[in-house]
Amino acid sequence: MGSEASSRPGVRVGSTSEFSLFFHVKPGHGEALHQALRELQDAPGYRPGDYEMPIASIHEARFVPFDDDTRLLFATSFDGPWDAYMEDFAAKPLKLFDSIFQHVVGYEGLPSLQAVKDFILSAQQTAGGYARNYGGTVKEIRKAITVNDAFQEVLDDPEAADALQHPALRPLLDVAAD
Amino acid sequence: MNSPTPASPQSPSRNTEPTEPTETTVPLEIDDIQGGALYERPSPYVGTYLLLQIHEPADGRELIRRLLPLLEPGPASTEPRSGAWLTVAFTYEGLTVLGVPQESLDSFAPEFRQGMAARAAELGDVGASSPEHWEKPLGTRDVHIALAALAPDAADLESVVARARRAQEEIPGVEVIWRQDCYQLPTGRTSFGFKDGIGQPAVEGVGTPTTRRGEPPIKAGEFILGYPDETGGLAPMPTPEVLGRNGTYIVFRKLHTRVAAYRQYLRDKARTREEEALLGAKMVGRWQSGAPLVLSPDEDDPELGSDPGRNNDFGYTSDLRGFKCPAGAHARRANPRDSLDHEMSVDVRLHRMIRRGTSYGPMLPEGVLEDDGEDRGIIFVFAGAHLKRQFEFVKTQWLNDGIFIGAPAEKDPLVGATDGSGAFTIPQHPIRRRLPDVPPFVVTRGGEYCFAPGLRALRWLAELT
Repeated sequence: MGSEASSRPGVRVGSTSEFSLFFHVKPGHGEALHQALRELQDAPGYRPGDYEMPIASIHEARFVPFDDDTRLLFATSFDGPWDAYMEDFAAKPLKLFDSIFQHVVGYEGLPSLQAVKDFILSAQQTAGGYARNYGGTVKEIRKAITVNDAFQEVLDDPEAADALQHPALRPLLDVAAD
Repeated sequence: MNSPTPASPQSPSRNTEPTEPTETTVPLEIDDIQGGALYERPSPYVGTYLLLQIHEPADGRELIRRLLPLLEPGPASTEPRSGAWLTVAFTYEGLTVLGVPQESLDSFAPEFRQGMAARAAELGDVGASSPEHWEKPLGTRDVHIALAALAPDAADLESVVARARRAQEEIPGVEVIWRQDCYQLPTGRTSFGFKDGIGQPAVEGVGTPTTRRGEPPIKAGEFILGYPDETGGLAPMPTPEVLGRNGTYIVFRKLHTRVAAYRQYLRDKARTREEEALLGAKMVGRWQSGAPLVLSPDEDDPELGSDPGRNNDFGYTSDLRGFKCPAGAHARRANPRDSLDHEMSVDVRLHRMIRRGTSYGPMLPEGVLEDDGEDRGIIFVFAGAHLKRQFEFVKTQWLNDGIFIGAPAEKDPLVGATDGSGAFTIPQHPIRRRLPDVPPFVVTRGGEYCFAPGLRALRWLAELT
C-alpha cells in the first residue's frame, strides 16, 4: 500500500485532476468482486450507452482487478481538487461503491471520518504522467454537447445557410462547413 | 438523477440517515459556551473589536479572570450585564504567550496554527489583498487576543470601553493594539446596500427556530467542539479536553468594500435604474431588502425580505439552471442549499458557516458614484468547528472558483478573489447575459484565525502557570 507521504493531490490539468486508488482484494473475494462489478455495469449510468453517472464531478470511472484478482484499481478524473472533497466522499460517493469496496482490505464500513481518510490516502497514488485531450469540466462538456447537438439541428434546416449570414452569427458560420 | 445506486440501493444520504440515539442525546452545555457564537445579538447594535497584545503572560491571564464574569453564555439578554455582549478569542500566538503547553498547542487545527496570513495564497488573499498590504497589526505575531464588544447603543458601548480602559491601566502587560468600531443598521443592510446575515444554519440543540422548512438543524458538533458533527464523529478537538470542549474556531476578516466602484459598474451595465437593481440582485442572489430571487424573481419584495419566516424558506431545485437566481450569485455560492444534492459529489451540510458579520465605516450616501475615500466595509466573522472544510472550503471552492457550477473562469461577483478579468453569467430568456470584467469589489484588509474557548477553558487558561 502507498504511504501517506506519497499521497497528495493528483496531477491537475485545467480544472481536472487524476485520482487513482490501488486496493488489495481480500483473500478469496475475487469472484465476489467480479460479481459486484458486473452488477455495477448493469446499473443506471454504467450500462453500455449510458452517460449519466450518479457522481457528476467525475469524467469516467474504471475498476480494474489485476494481479490474479488480488489487487483492484479505481481510476477516475475529478473536477476540482479531490482532496478538498475527501470528507464529502464519505457522505455519498463511497457508499455508491459499497458493494465493491466490501471486497477490499481496509473497508470495514468506514465507521469514522478518519477511517475514510485513512482508506483513501492509503490507496491513493499520484500519477507519474497525466494528460488530457480536451479541457472543461463534466458540466462544461455536457453543456457543449447539448449546444453542438442544437447547432447540428440548426444546420439541418434548409434555411440555415442564409440565416447564418447574419454578422452576429459569424463564429457559428466559421465552424459550420464540416 | 438516478440516485438509487448500483451498489447500495438505499443510497443513504446523510440527511435521512438514522443517527445513533447517543448522538442526539448529547445535550449542549449552553452555560459553558460563549453566547456570541450560537446566538445573534439583538439588532441594531454598535460594537467594537479590540485586538490585544500580551506583553506579560500573567497580565494576560489576569485579563481573562476579569473578563470571565462579564461573559454571558446563552441567548443574548436585552440588557447585557456589563453593558455589552462580549466574546473573547485567542490566536495561536496568544495561546502560546499565555503559556499553553506545546503538546496542547500542537493539537489545534493546522490552519489555526499557521494563521490566516500564512494561508493567504490558498485563500486568494493576493495582490491588493495580500498580507503585505494588510492593516497592521493584522496578520502579525503581535495579535494575541481578539475581543468583540457589541452593545445596544453607543452610550452603553462607550461606558464599557471606558471601563475596559481603566481596567487595562491596572494590567499594563496587556496592550490594546487595534480598535475597529462596527455596527449593524436597523435594516441589517451592509455597505453594498443589501440585508445581510440571512440564512444562518439552525443548530441542533440550541433552540433557535429553523427558518428553512425541510432542512433539519445542523449537528451542534459542526460549530461547537466536543459534540457529534454531521459525519457522525467528533471534530478533532484541541487537548486537554477542558481547553477544547465547548470552544469554536473564529475567522475574523476586515473586508474593505469598494462601494462606489460597485455602483458605477452596475450603472455602466444597466440601461435603467430598474435594471441596475436587477443586476445587483442577480449578483447577490437576493434583492436589497433580503428577498430571495427564487421567491421573487422579478422585483424586490420588502415585506418578504424582512420576514424571517419566509426570507430563508427556499431551495434551488426548481431553478437548477439559474433563471431566477444565477448559480454564480453570491448567496447561492456561499450556501448552495439543495442545488448540488443530485450531483452526489458534495454534502452541503459539511460546509455550513455561522456568520456574525458587522459593518464598519460610514455608508456611502445613496446615489453617490464617486469614491469618497472613506474606509468602509464588512467585518466578516465566522464561527465553526472546522476551519478547513467550512470557511476555507467555501472560500476556495465556492467563492474563488467556479468549477462546481461548470464555470471555472467565474468567481463570486462580490467577494471572489478576482483580478478583474472574470465574468458573471446571468441565465435569462431568450439569451443569457454575461457581464464581463467584473472588477474586485472587496479588498481584504487583514484577518485572523482565532479560537473562542468555553468558559471552563477560559478559567483553565487563567490558571495556567
